[in-house]
Formats: sequence, structure tokens, C-alpha cells
Amino acid sequence: MSNNVLHLENVTMQFGGVVAVDNFSMDINEGEIVSLIGPNGAGKTTAFNCVTGVYEPTNGLVEFYGKPIVRNHPQGKMKKGYLGQNGDMYLGEVISQTPDEITKLGIARTFQNIRLWKSMTVFENVLLAKHMNAKQNVFSATFRTNKKEEERMRRETLELLKQQGLDKYKDELATSLPYGLQRRLEIARALAAEPKLLLLDEPAAGMNPQETEELTAFIRQIRDDYNITIFLIEHHMNLVMDISDRIYVIEFGKEIAHGLPKEIQKNPKVIDAYLGG
Amino acid sequence: MLNEKKGISRGAIITLMIVLVVCILTIVLENTINPNSLLFTVIRKAAVYSLVAVTMNLLNGFTGLFSLGQAGFMLLGAYTYAILTIPTDVRDSIYYLFGGAGFHFSTVSFFEGIIGDSGVAGFISMILGVLIAMLVGGIVAAIVAYLIGLPVLRLKSDYLAIATLGFAEILRAIFQWDKLGKVTNGANALRGYPTFADFNIKNAQGITVLRLSSFIPILFAGICILIIILLINSSYGRAFKAIRDDEVAAEAMGINLAKHKMMSFIISSFFAGVGGALFAMFASTVQAKTFTSAMTYEIFLIVVIGGIGSISGSCIASFLYIACSEWWLRFLDNTQYINGNQLPLFKNGFRMVVFSVVIMIIVLFFRTGMMGDKELSDLFNKKRRKKVKADE
Ligand SMILES: Nc1ncnc2c1ncn2[C@@H]1O[C@H](COP(=O)(O)OP(=O)(O)OP(=O)(O)O)[C@@H](O)[C@H]1O
Ligand SMILES: [Mg+2]
Repeated sequence: MSNNVLHLENVTMQFGGVVAVDNFSMDINEGEIVSLIGPNGAGKTTAFNCVTGVYEPTNGLVEFYGKPIVRNHPQGKMKKGYLGQNGDMYLGEVISQTPDEITKLGIARTFQNIRLWKSMTVFENVLLAKHMNAKQNVFSATFRTNKKEEERMRRETLELLKQQGLDKYKDELATSLPYGLQRRLEIARALAAEPKLLLLDEPAAGMNPQETEELTAFIRQIRDDYNITIFLIEHHMNLVMDISDRIYVIEFGKEIAHGLPKEIQKNPKVIDAYLGG
Repeated sequence: MLNEKKGISRGAIITLMIVLVVCILTIVLENTINPNSLLFTVIRKAAVYSLVAVTMNLLNGFTGLFSLGQAGFMLLGAYTYAILTIPTDVRDSIYYLFGGAGFHFSTVSFFEGIIGDSGVAGFISMILGVLIAMLVGGIVAAIVAYLIGLPVLRLKSDYLAIATLGFAEILRAIFQWDKLGKVTNGANALRGYPTFADFNIKNAQGITVLRLSSFIPILFAGICILIIILLINSSYGRAFKAIRDDEVAAEAMGINLAKHKMMSFIISSFFAGVGGALFAMFASTVQAKTFTSAMTYEIFLIVVIGGIGSISGSCIASFLYIACSEWWLRFLDNTQYINGNQLPLFKNGFRMVVFSVVIMIIVLFFRTGMMGDKELSDLFNKKRRKKVKADE
């Protein structure tokens, strides 16, 4: 288990009286592609948001390469109103980080509803992902004494765009690209942050079957090319079954099954809840 | 494509040339036609306002932070500048109502003590004193911005507008407070410090040989704006734009929101402080009651008219706005006759009515302003691109 990348333990996210993620635990090992599936509103995106620091989970623990990055127990109003389980397991130290801090640790993500910077070009969108690891400061950047670093960032960005086949669009506005390419660009931007773990939230949403097929190959390719681990939310079952090493299924925030794709396909609970006959 | 290799685009070069022509024209005109013409008042004030509008645009247009504290930061810059530069020997006479000045250090007198106070040495002492006081004015504004930003920037962005507006109003009251009279001169004006007119070059007989009093504000404001442009086109500027476009995505890509917002707020306020110092030099007196929220709205209007997110828009709009308010629409305030009949409406205050209507029309029907979020250089570049296509 030394190659455990992401470990979720009893993660619960409660909004008011709604428990969106309910005592959810999972593990992802290095180099795996693991999918999280479930019906609409099951809490998949919320689980992502708990890992990436967008939400502070109400209860539970998240570890990245064995180091706790998020840890919380019900506090304040939630102390009384907590509807989940294991509310007394994580008393003591609270660990909470902002999304940028978590990204710096090596977790990058894409969004279910594409979030590219709309006034910027394709090139600038990817280039800016390099900003967080740059050594420059605001003076050296303004007065251009960081030339070497800026050139390096630009070179790496161009290289990445070439690898992803996006270089011919580099001076276009990001939002002027066709939908499928915007999805690709968002993945390229996440890769530019040089993550160890990549979180993809419904990357095939809105794609036609052919594009989806291409995407399947593409995701596998980036896992191999960049030696990263991938955590995927997806509704396209062909893609999920084809690509995943393991799958977790949730409904109403709770895990109802996990296992290999062929196990999941046969699981009656899953068929009942999701694959829906 | 072609442009990228050269580093500076054709459009940027053309824009720089336009600025250069404006500078030369200003110097030539000031030394040939009547130097008391309203034209020069407009140029000086518009140059100062350009800078302040650009600082506001940096926040509102490029970082997406809605702040209304510009007049407050200008006040800080203006007072710091005036208090630091009033020569030691005239101080007590300016603060006479408070029994003399409480603070006797003057940067100008300090350099005069080292370099000399007459002829070229005196001129250099004055310039050094002015530059340092402007810089300190900016730093004071930046420090205050940091203190305001610490609690406020963490909140939703609407709070920033309310907090900065309130801060500017409170500041205005504090600076008029009698108890601080020994430093701020209370509600009375500060004067006697170097103004733009002091940059006119005189010969040994004391006769002006070269007028630079309208060029200097363009030069100072221009340098500051250039630095802001460099910032906007740097990695940090891109980070600011990312925050404006999509905060969630920016944070997810490792951009520390608190740090970058603070940075933009501090830099904007620093240059607003410098702009305040320039405003003091333009107005030749500093009085807290000038720096009202109406001033901030004026600057905000300039930003809107020019285009939120366009630096060149802010500069052009500032010149047009100031020219209209100070000069071209002046006649509306004077009684007018046609064939000996007095026209109705033309009396004091009518100018502001017409002016408000014009602005309302612009805000209602031309919401993106004159330039949108484009720069002058983009326009020139685009023309070229079209030509290239036609050639193919
Ligand atoms: N910020 C929030 N405040 C309140 N409720 C929320 C919030 N975010 C999510 N929820 C609720 O949590 C539940 C899970 O939402 P989530 O977006 O995680 O579902 P999902 O599995 O990603 O669904 P989809 O497949 O439609 O993307 C929903 O009932 C949603 O209304
Ligand atoms: Mg979702």
C-alpha cells in the first residue's frame, strides 16, 4: 500500500439538512484509472470538491500520498445537526486547505461545466497553469528580469499544446473553440500544472460517440505519457467500463458498490440504481 | 505570428508613436501659443486623471474587484506629497492658524541643503524632493490599502466597494480634524509646494525659456501607466485576469486568490497615491474637501466610458471627459443670446445637466464603452492582420 495516492475515509459533506456525500471511503493507487459513477445528484462532484478544497467536508479524512490533506469533524451548528456517521472519529486536529494549496501539492482537476478563462487565448490558458510554480515575483515579472523563466514557461506550454494537438489554435480565444476541444484544453491546462493526480469531472459530457471514443484513448494516453493517476467521474458507460481499473458507485452520497468493471456491470444493486435496465 | 518574434507588436509601436507626438505637440504648443489657454489645464488634469482611471481599471477591469476608494488614496498621496515638500521656510506661514507647522522636514529643503538651492542645483533638488515625496505618497496609500484589504478582501467583492467608499469618507473627515491641524492644516489648504509650473525652465534672469508644465504631468503619469501595462502583460497580470474571468478556476489552477487580490489592490492604491500627488501639483493647493466620492464617481465614469478592461480607453476617455467638463461645454453655463433674445436654460448649472444626459446615454447604449476591452494597439494590429489576409 505504499503506492496509495488518494485515500478517503468516512468523508461526509452535509449542506444544511442534505447529506450530499455520506460516509464515503475509497482508495486510489499509483497509475490507476479509477471512476466514480452514480445517478444525477448522487454527490460525485461534491466528493471531488471535498478533495480539492472547494468544500470543507463536515466529517472525515482525506490523505494524499499518505499525508493528511483534509481532516474535519462536525463543528459549530453541525455539532447538533450532524446527520452522518462517525462524527466522533476525527475530533482533534482540523486540516483545511484552500484549493490553490491543494493544487500545489499535485492534484489538478477539470470541471463538469467547463471553466476556461474566457478572455484569454488557448495559449494563455495553459501558460497560466505554470504561474503557481514559478519563482518570479511581481517586480521581476513586471520589469521583465524573469526572461529565462518566462521563456521556459512559454516553451513548455507550446510543447504541451503540440502534444495535445492544440497548437494550431493557440492564438484563438479559449471559448471560441468547439466544445470537444474546450474539454481537451481544460485537460491540457490541468496537465500544465504538472499534477500527480488528475481529477476529471465528466470529461465526455456533451461529446458525440466518436469524440467520446477518441477521449477514451486520450485519457489512457495521458496516464501513460505523464505517469499520473486518474480519478474520473463519467456518465458514458462505454467509456467508464473500457477505461477504468476500478469503479466506485454511489447513490444519495453513499457507496453502493465498488470493484472491477466487469463486477460492477453484473452487480444487481448497481443495475437497479443506475444502469437502470 | 510575425509580431510575437519581435517582442513588440506593430500596434504597440504605433501607439507609442502617437503618445510621442502628443508629447511633442504639447511642448511645442505650450511654448508658442498663450500658455494660459484652457487647453493646458485640460492636458494637465486629464494626464493626472488618466493615471487614476488606469489604477481603477486595474482593479475593476482587470482583477474584477469593485473598489470605490480612489479619491481616498489620492487624498493620502496628495497630503503626503504636500506635507513632505513644502519648503521649511514657508511652513510656519502656511500653518499660521495652528501656530506654525508641527512637522518641519521637507524633502526639497533637504536636497537643497546638500546640493544647493539656486540655479541648476536648486532645480535638481526640487526634482529629487518631488520624486521622493511622490514615492512616499504612493507607499502611504499602499500601506493603508494593505490594512483595509486584510479584512475586506476575504469577503465577497461587494463589500470592498462599501468599505473603500466608507474609508474615503472617513479619511476626508479625519484630515479636516482640528486636532491634526499641525500636520494637515485642518480644513485649510496646503500650498507653497512645488507644482507643475516649477518645472518650467528659467534662465539666470528668471525668465522662462522652456515651458514644460504640461509635458511633465504627461511624462509622470505616462511612466506610471507604462509600469501598469507591463504588469498587466506579465504572468501576474494574466493571473489577475483569470481571477476576473473565473475565480473558481483560478483557485483550482493554484492561484492564491487572497494574495493576488491583495497585490492588485496594493499596486492600484500605490499608483492612485502617486496620482494624488500629481493632482496636488496640478491644483497647487491641497484641501481634503476636494477628494469627495463625487471625484471617485467621475473617475469611475471615465473608466466606463473608455471601456472596462482597456488602458488606452481610460486614457482617451479621460482626455475627452476633462475637455468636455472643463472646456467644450463651458459655454452652456453662460447666458447666450440669439438676435438679442436671451435663450432659456443657458445659465449656471446647465452644463452639468447636459453632461449628465450625455453620460447616461453612453452608459445606457454603449455599455462596453469606447474601446470595450481592446487596446489601441489591438486595433492597429487587427488592421494589419486583415491586410495580410488580403495579400494572400
Ligand atoms: N453548495 C451546495 N449547497 C447545497 N447543496 C448542494 C451544494 N452542492 C451540491 N449540493 C447538493 O448535493 C447533492 C449532490 O450534488 P452533486 O453536484 O455532487 O451531484 P453529482 O453526483 O455531481 O450529479 P451530476 O451527475 O448531476 O453532476 C445534490 O442534491 C445537490 O443539490
Ligand atoms: Mg456533478
